[in-house]
Amino acid sequence: MSQVVVLPRTLLDQVKAELRAAAWFAALGEPLTDGDRADAEGYARALGLGALVLGQASDWPEAERVLKAPDWSPIWWDREETQRRRLLVEAEARYPERALWTALTELTTELGDVVHGRAGVAAARMAGAAKASVHVAAGAAAQAAYQLALARLAEDAASPFESKFRLFAAGRWPLGVVGSTLILF
Amino acid sequence: MSDPIVVKTVEELKSAPEEYREAIAKLVISHAINELYGAQVFDEPAIAYAPTPYAKWLTCRVAMEEYGHHVRFKQLGLQIGIPEERMMPGAGKRPLSIFEFPLKTWEEFVAIKLLADLAEILQVEDLLHCTFHPLRNLARATMPEERFHAQFGEDFSAELVKTPKGKARLQAAVNEYYPYLPSFFGGSKSKNNEIFRKWRIKQRTNDEMRQDFIKRASEVAAKYGLTLPEVRQAA
Repeated sequence: MSQVVVLPRTLLDQVKAELRAAAWFAALGEPLTDGDRADAEGYARALGLGALVLGQASDWPEAERVLKAPDWSPIWWDREETQRRRLLVEAEARYPERALWTALTELTTELGDVVHGRAGVAAARMAGAAKASVHVAAGAAAQAAYQLALARLAEDAASPFESKFRLFAAGRWPLGVVGSTLILF
Repeated sequence: MSDPIVVKTVEELKSAPEEYREAIAKLVISHAINELYGAQVFDEPAIAYAPTPYAKWLTCRVAMEEYGHHVRFKQLGLQIGIPEERMMPGAGKRPLSIFEFPLKTWEEFVAIKLLADLAEILQVEDLLHCTFHPLRNLARATMPEERFHAQFGEDFSAELVKTPKGKARLQAAVNEYYPYLPSFFGGSKSKNNEIFRKWRIKQRTNDEMRQDFIKRASEVAAKYGLTLPEVRQAA
């Protein structure tokens, strides 16, 4: 039986520092770098998505079309959810459930306004974004932050949520898979 | 009637009359618990039902904001000396009956955002002039997010009613959930509401709020060609 211990404050503080330092949405629409490509490939590999073409949305209206595409592939979402549930079970075995849930909720809530503001700045800079899309971006970023914290608490360094977060930290927004293309914004 | 007291800070609350302090505590506990229930029972499960990544992440943000409301009320509660356990589900206070019917479809979630969040807006509106300023300020911070959640309900309702099948499913969800909402405002002869109004913590009677809700809910439903089922009034 696993030994349940109190939450590792130092680890959570480190995650919060990384989240605060991330360049949320700062590189939307910019040309992809080798680092972006490597992280995108690492993310797809860690999720077991196989060989995917890397694509890019160049502006907010295009990103919105991608996110609303009827032929979007739910595989990446479902695999992320499988990973999240697995990590949650592992984290719950290590830490008191209520303290864990409270920490994750508070971390995500605190970050919510930050990423919402950053998404708003990016939308204002580029123009063309629907009002609700700023909320969508903030939801995506907060989900990535939650997933990162969970991966760290479960001590899974090979988690796809590490490379996914690196994309957000570099100012990108991974929009998901449509057909056989992984699309970054 | 004499001028109501105005309590500008948490510190000042300590010297407010006991009845006032207890009324504030009841309201804070109620909001903290119901915001958490709402996020757990409806918003978070809805992410799985949302049809596209756009809708899923928008729902993530909505869920996060609802959890955020719980956190805000809980933090205020802790500041005024309410033990954390009393602001969590399962602490003895019964949740609203709507929370006993867990979400099964995306259309149900859209109906809940359309109508239940309208009910939440009315509850928060009533605190915008609260004599306890930390609670008034919290309500003011919460209001734009509640309005956005109701708008979320309107936007996705507009999408769903574009097809006969979508409209029928949304109407069925409205029929299922709407009957629980008028009782959200409490009993007509509520002693708590009397005390809230005595101290100008809240402004309106439960019946006034209920009637306003029914009127506004009917208007918003009609906007999307939906009808509201008949409901029995709370005693």
